[in-house]
Amino acid sequence: MIRESDDVIIKTLARVLMPFIVVYALYVVMHGHHSPGGGFQGGVILAAGFVLLVISHGLEQTRRRMSEKMAGAISSVGVFIYGGIGVLCLILGGNYLDYGKLSKILGVNSADARSLGILGVEIGVALAVMAVMCTIFFAIFTVGETDEDEGSEK
Amino acid sequence: MTHFFLIIGVAMCVLVLFCLYRATCGPGVLNRAAGISAIGTKTLIILLLMGVIYGRVEMFIDISMVYALLNFIGCLVLAKYLERSGEVSC
Repeated sequence: MIRESDDVIIKTLARVLMPFIVVYALYVVMHGHHSPGGGFQGGVILAAGFVLLVISHGLEQTRRRMSEKMAGAISSVGVFIYGGIGVLCLILGGNYLDYGKLSKILGVNSADARSLGILGVEIGVALAVMAVMCTIFFAIFTVGETDEDEGSEK
Repeated sequence: MTHFFLIIGVAMCVLVLFCLYRATCGPGVLNRAAGISAIGTKTLIILLLMGVIYGRVEMFIDISMVYALLNFIGCLVLAKYLERSGEVSC
């Protein structure tokens, strides 16, 4: 069990750094097609923010913001966004993940629809990667204890 | 000017070797942790120098910022792990 750190420097640094990490992760996700990065990398940076939160403010504080159930739900939503956009393209008469067909729904031309479709898929990937990374980190750091075990102890 | 940055980059790579020696053979865990984090900062500088040499600094700045962030968090996680496993007495 990770206790809350009583080090002022680390706690203050985490508090200051956390918004910048989130903004930078969003930048990496949104600019994935102009610069290095994309959904996976942005998700990993978001998860790194949660790792920093666990290290500085303890596991209980972090669980209040991102429990294991929430992480599972978010990862499912991310995969659903990815698969949903793919199947939507399939329904609209294209191939799987053929973003150009999304222009009928979005009301823009085919090139813009491709850009927006890729952005949507990357957001889905980022959500899924963040949640799965958080789940893996929680599982490793608690040596397999879950929320329910915690509740029964209390 | 490119030669200047190239020479600095090679010198940084040589310095990484010294840090690697400290990280592998260093007595005690604290020396190893310090060596690893020093390698991280040197890698950051090498990435930026590569960006200058290739003329695409704006791309390599993104990578090096992520590298600095992950290096910092990795260092904290290592310190926390050592504190828990009792290798270092607070």
